[in-house]
Amino acid sequence: MPLNRLFAKCLLPGIFLLLPFLIFAQTPVVTGKIIDDKGNPLPGATVTVKGSNISVTADSIGQFRINAPAGSRTLLITSIGFADKEVAITNHPLSIILTSDSKALGDVVVVGYGTVRKKDITGAVASITSKDFSPGVINNPLQQIQGKISGLVITQPGGDPNGNLIIRLRGQTSLSGGQTPLIVVDGIPLDDPNQLSNIPATDIASYDVLKDVSATAIYGSRGANGVIIINTKKGTAGRPHVEYNAYVGMDHIAKDFGLLSGDQWRAAVKTIPGITQSTIDGLDHGANTDWLTAITRTAYTHSHNLAVSGGSGGFNYRASVNYMKQDGIVINNNKEQYSLRFNAEQKAIDDKLDIQVALFSSQVNRQYVDYNIFDYVNTTPPVYPVHNPDGTYFGYYDYDQQNPVAQQMLEQNTNREKLTQYFSRVDYTILSHLKGGVQGSISQLTTHYDFFQPTLPGVGNLSSAQQNMGEVDSKKGDIHLNYLNSFGKHALSATAVYEYNDFDSSIFSAAGQDYLVQNLQDNNLGGGNPSLNQITSYKQQYKIISLLGRVTYNYNSKYYATVSFRRDGSSKFGINSHWGNFPSASLAWRLKGESFLKDVSWIDDLKLNAGYGVVGNQDAITPYSTLLTLGGSGRYYNPANPNYQYPQSYAPNQNANPDLKWESRHGTNVGASFALFDNRLNGNINAFSDKTKNLLFTYTVPVPPFFYNTILANVGTLTNKGIELQLNADVIRAPKLNWSVGGQITFVRTRITNLSGTYDGNAITTDQVPVGYAKGRGYDGNAITYLKVGQSPYVFYLPKSAGLAKDVDPSTNSNQLYYAADGSKVADISKAKKYYTDPSPKFTYGINSNLNYGSWGLNFFLRGVYGQQLFNNFANITSNISRLPGNNVTKDALTNGIKGSQTASDLWLENASYLRLDNISLSYSFHNVKGLDNLRVYATGNNLFVITHYKGMDPEIRNGNSSQAYIDTNVYGDAFYPRSRTVLIGINVSFK
Amino acid sequence: MKNKILLILAACSLGACTKLDQKVYSVVPNQNFWQTPDQIAAGIVPAYAQLANIPDGNFQNLQETSSDEQVVPARGSDWLADGQHIQLWTHTWTSQTQQVRDTWTDLYAGIGKINFILGIVNTLDPKPDGLDKINAELKTLRALYYYWTMDLYGNIPLVTDFNTNPNTVTNSPRTDVYNFIVKDLKDNIDLLNDEVSPNTYGRVTKWTAFSILAKLYLNAGIYTGTTHWPEAIAMCDSIIQSGKYSLQTNYYDNFSQNNESSVENIFVIPFDHINIAGNNYQTQNLHYQNNINFQLSSGAWNGFCSNAEFYSHFDTTSVYTVKGPNTYRTFLDARSGQYLIGQQFTPVFTYPPNTNVLVASTEPSLKIKDAQTGKDLSFYGNITEISNPADTFRLAGLRNIKYFPNPGTQVSMNNDVPVFRLADILLMRAEASLRNGTATSTDLDYVNSIRARAYGGDVSHNWTMVDLTLPHILDERARELAWENHRRQDCIRFGTFGNARTPNKAKDADGHWQIFPIPQAQHDANPNLKQNPGYPAF
Repeated sequence: MPLNRLFAKCLLPGIFLLLPFLIFAQTPVVTGKIIDDKGNPLPGATVTVKGSNISVTADSIGQFRINAPAGSRTLLITSIGFADKEVAITNHPLSIILTSDSKALGDVVVVGYGTVRKKDITGAVASITSKDFSPGVINNPLQQIQGKISGLVITQPGGDPNGNLIIRLRGQTSLSGGQTPLIVVDGIPLDDPNQLSNIPATDIASYDVLKDVSATAIYGSRGANGVIIINTKKGTAGRPHVEYNAYVGMDHIAKDFGLLSGDQWRAAVKTIPGITQSTIDGLDHGANTDWLTAITRTAYTHSHNLAVSGGSGGFNYRASVNYMKQDGIVINNNKEQYSLRFNAEQKAIDDKLDIQVALFSSQVNRQYVDYNIFDYVNTTPPVYPVHNPDGTYFGYYDYDQQNPVAQQMLEQNTNREKLTQYFSRVDYTILSHLKGGVQGSISQLTTHYDFFQPTLPGVGNLSSAQQNMGEVDSKKGDIHLNYLNSFGKHALSATAVYEYNDFDSSIFSAAGQDYLVQNLQDNNLGGGNPSLNQITSYKQQYKIISLLGRVTYNYNSKYYATVSFRRDGSSKFGINSHWGNFPSASLAWRLKGESFLKDVSWIDDLKLNAGYGVVGNQDAITPYSTLLTLGGSGRYYNPANPNYQYPQSYAPNQNANPDLKWESRHGTNVGASFALFDNRLNGNINAFSDKTKNLLFTYTVPVPPFFYNTILANVGTLTNKGIELQLNADVIRAPKLNWSVGGQITFVRTRITNLSGTYDGNAITTDQVPVGYAKGRGYDGNAITYLKVGQSPYVFYLPKSAGLAKDVDPSTNSNQLYYAADGSKVADISKAKKYYTDPSPKFTYGINSNLNYGSWGLNFFLRGVYGQQLFNNFANITSNISRLPGNNVTKDALTNGIKGSQTASDLWLENASYLRLDNISLSYSFHNVKGLDNLRVYATGNNLFVITHYKGMDPEIRNGNSSQAYIDTNVYGDAFYPRSRTVLIGINVSFK
Repeated sequence: MKNKILLILAACSLGACTKLDQKVYSVVPNQNFWQTPDQIAAGIVPAYAQLANIPDGNFQNLQETSSDEQVVPARGSDWLADGQHIQLWTHTWTSQTQQVRDTWTDLYAGIGKINFILGIVNTLDPKPDGLDKINAELKTLRALYYYWTMDLYGNIPLVTDFNTNPNTVTNSPRTDVYNFIVKDLKDNIDLLNDEVSPNTYGRVTKWTAFSILAKLYLNAGIYTGTTHWPEAIAMCDSIIQSGKYSLQTNYYDNFSQNNESSVENIFVIPFDHINIAGNNYQTQNLHYQNNINFQLSSGAWNGFCSNAEFYSHFDTTSVYTVKGPNTYRTFLDARSGQYLIGQQFTPVFTYPPNTNVLVASTEPSLKIKDAQTGKDLSFYGNITEISNPADTFRLAGLRNIKYFPNPGTQVSMNNDVPVFRLADILLMRAEASLRNGTATSTDLDYVNSIRARAYGGDVSHNWTMVDLTLPHILDERARELAWENHRRQDCIRFGTFGNARTPNKAKDADGHWQIFPIPQAQHDANPNLKQNPGYPAF
């Protein structure tokens, strides 16, 4: 019998019989632990016996146990974000280190109360890591990602270093109160999104943006505006690693107002009938002052960041210090920031115990701009000098008119802000699949505002001084449980959290007037007229208590489901609705895992996802809005008391509404993500449809019976519908040459669908509410934008301009004409027909290009808005020759023919679409520099050009957080701080 | 371990860790207030707080700019303010005019607060001391607010309970409102304090109630179609004969910074430049550069003024004295000095404003110039257009300084604003008697006491019975009571309200302008409200 037949006939059955024993004898079970290159356990990594379809998933601390068939020699370990690794099977427990796959960096996404591998995400979540951040003079970290994430619209209204960004995720979500996404820095939600400007950008490693309602529902009553999760840089195992990043930038005003110069003013006033020579002589002080130039300058910024990180023996750390000083382009205006951040992690007891601590502390000193000076620039005749011949300030006073240089230079207007955050977290692996732990954080912001205004030349005001001290504190604690396990092809994880939040804030203020010695500024507050001293204080508190849970499931990495539920109680809510429930569910289907796509080589990955959820917004409710409370209501005269003749009176502060509760946003999202052509083209597309119900708004109620004519109530409804597309393409991949281009485009349509409902059993019926006003001398309460059912928020309602008459009509004091309903031209604007115009952008977009050739890099980023309309209130006021001679006008005023009083018509509505070169950067990396790991130098330009038809100073104005949305107001302190053009050079150095 | 954590979670969800109690710090929950007599006193006075709005624009504009007394011309774009002041002067206002909208809420906020306070104080346990007097005071003050609201808007909602369902509120006919006010005043008048002392300064007294009743009866023919002259005379007599009030020797001491010592003012709105803001007449009236001769510590706004036609009712006969380069003027009728006329000079303007007014100087450097036009700061009364961008138009109109601003004044003044004073009551008595056909020498004496006071005790300007006519009374009221919020009511009663006026006001086509429209904003909030006759229906 040939040997092979003997084998087949006799031995084979025998071997089969013996097989179980053989396996048992050889490698019955393989165990091991998987960690990443920083020493962190890698839960959820897939362990497969190579050549078989046997696989398991590592547990919550990275441990696994797998039965390997006889003859198996190798395990294949895969985990998204890490390079695949093959390991020989041994008898001993394996210790496997996966190294992160640089191409897939950031593929673990923080989704709130946990992390998820990017490929397992079921909701609309976008991530961006430091390599894709925009460089430039960054005073708020989110400027790093402005325009880069579809659905996230960030607006920087002007160039004020102390200005705040306007951040909107997926459209306007509310009519009042905050619409800024919840911002969570390393697990600590910021008490106020503007605190982000106190956090240095250079410490940030990545942003994870939770966009759809199914993703944000885990944040319950605070999730309606979306959630931006910020992850700071952490230490990694190894020798101490020292990094230094710095830049020096130079800002210059990007555009001016186009006002007349002194000589142009002199030429113009001579040609205008009715202006007498004596008037001209009275005004003309012989100067040629460009007042905008007088209040601006070339400004310098420098920023330094030094960080040390490393780790060994289960201990990792990172510590950094930052300094930044940014001068505004307006004189006597700046921001200076110092901060330090430290975080550390210690593992012990076979890595079962994990302790993390973090500390952040910063001080920001701000010197503010008095926004009234921008008015004074436009009103002051350019023939006034800044200074008298003796060097003192030239003083003058008239309606909305005084020396802006004197005002800005002589006023003290500063704030010191100290933000400190403490964080600690302890986790313990209770069972192999179950971890439990506690987390706590404290955030403290103290502010100290100093103000002093001396008696200004020509104004004759009393000197005044003020100090305000504010504290905003929050304490947060949670107890959490995490479960992670897999059963064959089924993978299951669950999270349960109890969370307690306490928010306290208080303010103390003292002020005085009429000081003899003005040099003391506000350091001798009591030194003025004692009868003019004022002290005030205020304190408030509220709590949010939550129970929340999330379960995720996937089958064979093909079919995914996530269910979450949060129950939030807030002391701000009315007694009738203290608790709210916020559920969500989402599903995903990874088509690439299906057999029919397995062999389609050009598709590397393809996934569909869909989700639904309910989230809340409680920002508009102040802590005691639901209660009938009495507060100080002015003083009254009681002459019968000789010592104290003006006691305080007490009256209700508001119409209390015990029904108040959160706004609820109900959202549906469907999306697809894909990677094609060997990952050369990847991206995602999402479509969403959200409805916000119980809209909080300060609705009008009748007087009588009320004595306040407004009440905060949950009444209206609005919808947001949109499509977002994000694409990235590696166009060239060559050994020395890489070029990738990418971009995003976001379409959002917001509609108010209802403004009527009930509160406390009473009906509110509202059809439209005036919100935005044309402003300036001659206007008072001229509403031009409205909240209107069926329209987008802040829709314009304006007459159509019908050109100009030759002469001013004495009855209207204007030569402007409008179309009446019958098509005729009328001079009386009250007889004109009005039309609605939707000012909201049709879409917003961003385009980036990254080109690397050898050691050189050239990157640029363009961002734009299309279809936006703005009311050019500035031109409406200043492009009018009738302002001469007492005020200045634009050069347009000399030719546009408009005379007399200004009126608000669609003549001033302008297409404000724009495309801005946000930044362009050229960099060079030195290699093989002795003693250095990395040495890179770069030069960056910000805002080098903007393409727009808009005639105002800049089309990116304060839209979104102001009732003056889409109105380029520019008067009475509502001014636009001119935007700058920036050039900077920077350096990154690191060594071990 | 796991069980312990689960236990903690279970415990939390059951109670202790889910308590949403909230501490209230800087405001006090209503149920914790009203504990002591002082707290009750401090809880009642907000009923008066709305009075501080009376001089500040809205109410004042409705009562004065719609009459022949006050005009607010648009000086280019300055004071154009969407045309609202032009609308008031030319009688073209609408239900959306700002002052029409805001005066309503200013007044009804007072009514609503009183309804709220009445609801609270009458349910306190134990009953506060003097509850009957508190109720009477609050109801009388509410009657004052209702009188004004009814006077302006005619057919208004009558709400006396704060907890009224807002969806049931609707207009009542003007007569019903009138009857309610009269009844409420009569029902409470005997419970009111009749003391005139610092204890009752700025507070409603019996004499305030008589004053309101006198106004109601004097205008009853306008309000209801039925006149009540004898009742008007009786109400005036109750005040005059009480002996509680007498004419202040110096006319201006009724309006000055220290006018709390006036023996003539019956009911005033107290103001204080620090503690009670709201009297900013000088800011509204004076020119930007008047901060030089009035030494104001904050700039004025160059708005309200009177025209030459109104000032023609005044006797401007004067005595002139020359000192060095300067000529000073003293008006025979003190009241004529309440207006700034002509060139302004840099020396500080002295009190009282009718004596030794610097009106000419051969020293050119003393002339104040308008900073924005370089022109001499010289006020003129001949306003020929309601709106004009010419640089001289900044100087149009005569400026009232009856509420004399002391040096150092900021936006808020100390001058208390009289609502009712004896001179008004005396003129009302004479008018009611004339209209009732019962005028006697008593009425003549009343009027002459006012005229003699105006002429510094000089009786040579006194009237005789022949002079005691209705047109003369109207002109005397113009001189005596300008800038005291009576003129619209007087013009309606004397039939001159709808007359054509310079500048730019045509004669009213009908009488519907005599009451203002129900504000559009109120109809938006309460669709039950019906518009007043003559205005476009909602």
